[in-house]
Amino acid sequence: MFISAESLCKSYGSGDGKNDVLKNVDISLEKGHIGVILGPSGSGKSTLMNMIGGVDRVDSGSIIVDNDNVAGFDDDALTEYRRKNVGFIFQFYNLVPNLTVSENIEVCANISDSPLRLNEILSIVGLEDKKNRFPRELSGGEQQRVAVARAIVKNPKLLLCDEPTGALDFETSRDVLSLLQKINREFGTTILMITHNIAIGDMAHVVYKLRSGEITEVIRNDEIIPAERIEW
Amino acid sequence: MVLNKRIFRMMRENFGRYTGIILLIFFASFTLVVMGGIGQNLGRLLTSFAENNRQEDISFTTDYPISDIGEIERELGLSMEDFISMDVELSQSQTLRLISPNQKINIPALNEGQDLSSSGQILLENLYAEANGYLPGSTIEINGKTFTVTGLISLPNYIYPLKNPFDILVSYSNFGVGIVGREDMEASGGYLRGYTVRFDDSNTSINQQAVILRERLENEGVNISDWIDNRNNKRMSVPWASVTGMQSMSIPIPIAMFLLCCIIVGIMNRRIIRAESVIIGTFYAQGYRRRELVRHYMVIPVLLPAIGGLSGVLLALPCLSPGVNAMLMYYNVPFTGIEWNVLHIALGVLLPIILMGVSSYFIIRRQLSQTPMELMKGDKHKTKVNALERVVNLEKFKFNTKYKLREQMRSISRLLFLLFGIMGASALMMLGFTIQNSLNHVFSSSTEGTYDFAYEYSFRQWHYGTAPEDAEVFSAEKFYPEGNEIMEFYVTGVQSDSEMIFLEDLNGNPLSVNQTIITRPLAERLKVGAGDTVSVIGKRDGKTYDFMIDAVSGTQAGQFIFMPIAELNIKLGLPKDAHIGYWSNIRLDIPGDQLSGMKSLEDVENAASEFMGPMLSAIIAMTASACIIGLIIIFLVTSLIIEESKKTISLFKIFGYKKKEVRSLVLGGTVYIVVVGFLLGIPLMALSMGGIYGYLGEQINMVLPVIVNPLYIIICFAAILLTYEVSKMMCARKVDRVAMSEALKSNAE
Repeated sequence: MFISAESLCKSYGSGDGKNDVLKNVDISLEKGHIGVILGPSGSGKSTLMNMIGGVDRVDSGSIIVDNDNVAGFDDDALTEYRRKNVGFIFQFYNLVPNLTVSENIEVCANISDSPLRLNEILSIVGLEDKKNRFPRELSGGEQQRVAVARAIVKNPKLLLCDEPTGALDFETSRDVLSLLQKINREFGTTILMITHNIAIGDMAHVVYKLRSGEITEVIRNDEIIPAERIEW
Repeated sequence: MVLNKRIFRMMRENFGRYTGIILLIFFASFTLVVMGGIGQNLGRLLTSFAENNRQEDISFTTDYPISDIGEIERELGLSMEDFISMDVELSQSQTLRLISPNQKINIPALNEGQDLSSSGQILLENLYAEANGYLPGSTIEINGKTFTVTGLISLPNYIYPLKNPFDILVSYSNFGVGIVGREDMEASGGYLRGYTVRFDDSNTSINQQAVILRERLENEGVNISDWIDNRNNKRMSVPWASVTGMQSMSIPIPIAMFLLCCIIVGIMNRRIIRAESVIIGTFYAQGYRRRELVRHYMVIPVLLPAIGGLSGVLLALPCLSPGVNAMLMYYNVPFTGIEWNVLHIALGVLLPIILMGVSSYFIIRRQLSQTPMELMKGDKHKTKVNALERVVNLEKFKFNTKYKLREQMRSISRLLFLLFGIMGASALMMLGFTIQNSLNHVFSSSTEGTYDFAYEYSFRQWHYGTAPEDAEVFSAEKFYPEGNEIMEFYVTGVQSDSEMIFLEDLNGNPLSVNQTIITRPLAERLKVGAGDTVSVIGKRDGKTYDFMIDAVSGTQAGQFIFMPIAELNIKLGLPKDAHIGYWSNIRLDIPGDQLSGMKSLEDVENAASEFMGPMLSAIIAMTASACIIGLIIIFLVTSLIIEESKKTISLFKIFGYKKKEVRSLVLGGTVYIVVVGFLLGIPLMALSMGGIYGYLGEQINMVLPVIVNPLYIIICFAAILLTYEVSKMMCARKVDRVAMSEALKSNAE
């Protein structure tokens, strides 16, 4: 297994105000697969993804990613882990507004030992002609493409996508999902995506349904549907 | 308004930033009240002393007594009083000038003790007495006779007690003035007879009245020497240069600092409103009026200058008296107390409130003029890219450099604040060093390089013949350009084979003194060069003289034309062997009554080092103040950058940037602006100094060159970089504290 998380627990606050966000969650994902975590707001899916991404710490349980126990890493090791292994894509893109498209991509290329070539990345995301534009001058879909390019430029083993289509319309969402599927196929990147859109589960190898911090259902897809054919 | 409850919470949350702004305003108000107050009080003390104690307009010496003083007074509308004086050498390096008591002009002000009541008593000038430990009641041995010090005094014609009127620096340990009874002086003999004059008509120029007086005296056959008016007498003109300097700096520096604060307060307000635009939109939607919200956001821009201005003024008030007294360590003026200047106090408190209030009002009004919908959308400005960011092409730079530069260009107002702030702080820092360097240069060039003798003896009357062994003769006469009588200078006749004057051309090549050479400062003021003819008026006879300039010397040793003595004497209608003084390497035995002055170059050097001691403290204080101002400015900008880049910093951390890398990206960018600001501070300082020195130089008829020493520039640069590093250290923890959740939170918005 590329990702193997077992008995993950996480709570915030203490005493009467204690809020158990994750309760003994187990998930796993094969290398090169796409995984989707489905769930409503407040179900703990972002917390789960943050812990796998090394952004947040678990209270108990283990997270093994590519044979490394991420849950046992100290701060420096977590930084190194995120730097080398993980790419992030966010719902609201989180681009640096005063950097151009190519400069935004360079943010991550800058800390990679062997980044992909900028022109190659721009060509993959279809933004060669807009590399000198600022984020404000792009549409939402284009901004998310920049975010994708930024995430994959360091050729990460794991791509974590937090509601990547949450701020996009249907057509644009499908374009972005297609792009992610293309990256998964071409680079063999393992992708873990969180969403509340059940239809997106059709393009994943495995879907975990999460409610109130617990896994309620695990769906394994034998037939992966191309993103272009997803409807909602 | 209940909303205002959060003002203090906001101030507590951003304590460092608001404290920095308050400190800047505090410095500005403090400077305004203290510098303005010192200038004004010193000016008042000088004026009242000069008026109440009837400061002379002119003084001169004569070979024989003037017999018709009463008639001259009535005829020309003036007061004239005779005095006798003599210089007594108390030791090899200490001279005491004894002067007979005056009744009508230059009346001494008794600061401590009793007036003279009998023979064998002496009044000593305050600063000399203090420097040499004389108190009322102590005794002093003069020419074998014991005098009792009965009191300490200030003299209107020795406010800046220079031994010779052409000296630059006072040395209280080497020279002083005492008043003794006329009978005591007449008994010892060897005195000079002099006259002081004060014109009744204050509306007509002193020069015009002086010409009439001089004509009248010369027509009577009176042989006049040492004629000097108070504007050319540094004993009286130098204190006014300090007053002018203080007053001219007391307004621009605080105003510049207030304006800087306006920029930063404006930036912060705009940022707060933009960050809260959703809330403001909601308030609008719920029925709040714009003026109610404007009033709310105006609290901070009024509160900060009010606290800073008021505390600056309150602390300035008790500092004023020590400040004036510090000036009185150089100038001997009776201290009659401090007068508060209501205008300065009002400006110190109200000016920052008005400037910051008005500028912020317009910024706030503009920001709040959007519709509730626009405000509630909130992201109108978040992603805006300004013209500078658009225009600058950074493609060839590495990412780190690109990011740092882009971060600086993000806000033009923030960039200007940092740039102007560092320019100002650097200029202030270099100002102190440059003043020291320039004065040092003036002092050293008046003793080293150009002159190679130990003593200069100036006679009261023309002498004829040759110089004694180890000495050279010189002649000298004062001239001024037509229409600019204040700009006096000497044409000095030197032996054509002189070995005591060394002049070099502008390229540093030696010049023969067997030609007419003008010094560079004078050439620049008269706007002449080699080959030109200078047409000037003789101070003594009012006639026009022409001097054909053969060469310009690069020396900064004052304003002179040097020419062969024989040629000058012919021009002046004097015998070829006439001379007015000697330059000598050994002490000469010349009777005191023949001399109008004796200058020892060693004494000048001693006086320079005596003067430079306190000067060094002032420079350290200026440098420290500049560092603090620079530190506050860099800290304010950096903390704003951190505040505005929180999400980006958080992203960097999520992407795997290490602490050191994030710090370098976020805090390292300001170094470019700090360096550019410092470099621009050099011409700013040189321009300001040039302006101030030019003005002061005209006031005291002296050339004060702006000498920028590369070593001091490097020291100042190191100090600014150190300041920058300190501010980086102060802000590093702020960067470290930015959590990764900042970027993740915005995801959930």
